[in-house]
Amino acid sequence: MRSRSAGAALAVPAWAWLLLFFVAPVAMVVWFSFGYKPGVFGSHANDILSFDRYVEAVSPTFFATFQNTLWVGVIGTVLCFAIGAPVAYWMAFKVKPQRRGILIALVLVPFWTNFLVRTIGWQVILAPEGWLSSLLQGIGVLDGPLDLLYTRTAVIIGVVYNYLPLMVLPLFVAFDRVGPALREASKDLGAGKVGTFLRVTLPLSQPGIIAGVLLVFIPLMGDYITATVLGGAKGNMVGQLVASQFQTAQNWALGSAMAVLLMLVIMLTIGAFAVVIWLAALPFRSRNRLVLGAVPETAKTDAAPAAALEVTT
Amino acid sequence: MTTQTETETILQAQSREARPGAAPRRRARKSWSDVAFGVWGVVVMLFLFLPIIVIVIYSFNSGRLLVSWDGFGFDAFSTILLKPAIQSAVRVSLITALIAAIIATVLGTLAGIAMARHPGKWVWWFLGLLLLVSVTPEIVDAVALLPWMVFLGQDLGISIFNDGIVRLSVGSSLFATAVVSYIVRARLVGQDANLEEASADLYAKPFTTFRRVTLALAMPAVLAGFLLAFTLSLDNTIVAAFVQVSGTTPWPVYVLSALRSGLRPEIAAVSTIMLVLTLIALALVALVLKRAGDSATQIARTMTGG
Repeated sequence: MRSRSAGAALAVPAWAWLLLFFVAPVAMVVWFSFGYKPGVFGSHANDILSFDRYVEAVSPTFFATFQNTLWVGVIGTVLCFAIGAPVAYWMAFKVKPQRRGILIALVLVPFWTNFLVRTIGWQVILAPEGWLSSLLQGIGVLDGPLDLLYTRTAVIIGVVYNYLPLMVLPLFVAFDRVGPALREASKDLGAGKVGTFLRVTLPLSQPGIIAGVLLVFIPLMGDYITATVLGGAKGNMVGQLVASQFQTAQNWALGSAMAVLLMLVIMLTIGAFAVVIWLAALPFRSRNRLVLGAVPETAKTDAAPAAALEVTT
Repeated sequence: MTTQTETETILQAQSREARPGAAPRRRARKSWSDVAFGVWGVVVMLFLFLPIIVIVIYSFNSGRLLVSWDGFGFDAFSTILLKPAIQSAVRVSLITALIAAIIATVLGTLAGIAMARHPGKWVWWFLGLLLLVSVTPEIVDAVALLPWMVFLGQDLGISIFNDGIVRLSVGSSLFATAVVSYIVRARLVGQDANLEEASADLYAKPFTTFRRVTLALAMPAVLAGFLLAFTLSLDNTIVAAFVQVSGTTPWPVYVLSALRSGLRPEIAAVSTIMLVLTLIALALVALVLKRAGDSATQIARTMTGG
C-alpha cells in the first residue's frame, strides 16, 4: 500500500505543471469572460460581472464567423473521413504487411513538417500566377488564371490537407486491430463484403473512428492559420477573432468570452453528433443484437490482461 | 500480428483448395476493388506530398518572391547566411523545442510510469486532465497563457516569466507532456510487471529497480516521446505567436509575419533544411523502436498515442 502511494507520487510533477500552466490559465480566461473592457487603454476589468460579453460575442457581427467556423469544421472533418477512411482501409487490409511500415512513414512525414510551411506550399500551388494555373490554362481546362486562392474552397483544401494524417493514422490502427481472423470468419459464415464491413469491421473499429473524428474536428475548429494563409479576408474563423481581440483590439474580456464560446460550440457539436450517431445506429443495434453481443466479448479479452496487470501490481 | 496474417494465408489457401471453381471468379472481383483502393491510396499519398515537394523545389527559386518562379539557383540558401533574423528565429525555435521536449519527457515519463505501474482511481482523473489538454484548441491555450504569463511575470514579479525563451518553452511543453505520458503508459501497460517484482525479490532497492528495470523497459517510448515532443514544439505556431516576447521570435512566428510582408524563397530554403532534419529525427525514432522489436504497426500506434 505504501509503495503504491509512493509510486503514484511520480505523477505529481506533471500534475503540478499542468495545473499551473493549463488549468489555472484557462480558469483565468473563463473569469475574464465575465468582465468588461475599461476605457481605451485597459484590457480587462472584473469589478462588475455579467454575461454581456457573451451577448456581444453572438451579435450578428461575430455570429457569421461562428457559423463559418462550424461550417468549415464540419465539412473539413467529413471530407477528411471520406478521403482518409479508404486509405486507412487500404493500408490495413490490402497492402502487404512488409510495405505497411513505409506507408506509415509516408503518412507521417507531412504530419511532422511545419504546418505553416505546408500551407504556404498550397498557396504557391493555388496562386493565380503559379504553375498549376499555367498548366491548366496550357491544356485548355481554364480560360483565365486559376481563381482558387483566397476562396472558401482553398480553405477547405488546406484544412483537409493539414488534418488528413490525423484521420488516417487512428483509423489505420483501428482497422488493423480488427485483424483478418474475424473478417474471414464473417465471410465463411456467408456474409458479403459490404455485410462484413458494416457488421464486423465497422463496429469493432468504432473507438478508432471516434478518435480520428475528434482529432480532426477539435484542432480544426480552433485553427485560423490555414484560413488566414489560404482564405484571406474570406477565411474568417473564430480563432482569428479571438486572436485579434487579444492582439489588436486589446479587449481581453470579449476575446475570453469568444474562446469559451468556441469550446462550448465544439462540445455541443460533438454531443449533437454523438446523439445523431446513436439514434441512427438504433435500428441496426436492435436488428444485430446477436452481432453486437460479440463486441463486449472481444472487449473483455482485450481488457483481461490489463485487469490481470492491475491485480499483480 | 504475424500469427493473424498466417491464419489468413492458411484460410485463403484452404478456401482455394476446397472450392477450386469459385476461386478465380472471387479473385477477379477482388482485384477490381483492390485496384480502386490502391489507386485511391496512391493518389492521396501524392496529395499529401504535393505541397512539400513544391516547397522543396521552390527553395531553389532564384527570384525575389517565393510564389513566382524565376530560375534555378542556390541564392535562397546563401541569403540565409546574410540574414541574422532568420538564424536567430531558427535558433530560438530549436532551443525552446529542446527545453520543452526535456520538460515534457521528464514529466511525461514519470507520469506514464506512475499510471502504468501504480494504477488507481487517480489515473482516470489524470487521463481526464491529459485528454482536456489534448482536446483544447491551440488558440484557447494561447489566449489563456498570455495573460497568465503577464500575471506571473509582472503582477507577481516572478521575472523569469518575462523571458521569451522560458515563455515559449512552457507554452510548447503542455501538449507535448500529454503526448509523452500517453506513449510511455501505452508501452508499459503492454509489458508485464514481473521483471520489477523479480528485481525487488532479489533485494534491489526501489530506486535501483526503477532506474535499471522500469526505466530501461520504457526507454524506447521515452526516446520516441522525446523526439515527438521536440518536433511538436518546433511546429508550435499559435501559442508561440501569443506568448513570444519581441527579440525572441521563433521560426513559425517569423514565417507568419513574413506572410504579411511578402514571402521570399529563403523561407522555403530554411523549410527544406528543417525537413531534412525532421526526416533524420523520424528515421531515428523508427530505428530505436525497431531495435526494441516493435513492428511498423506498433510504431504507428505509439506515435498516435494509442
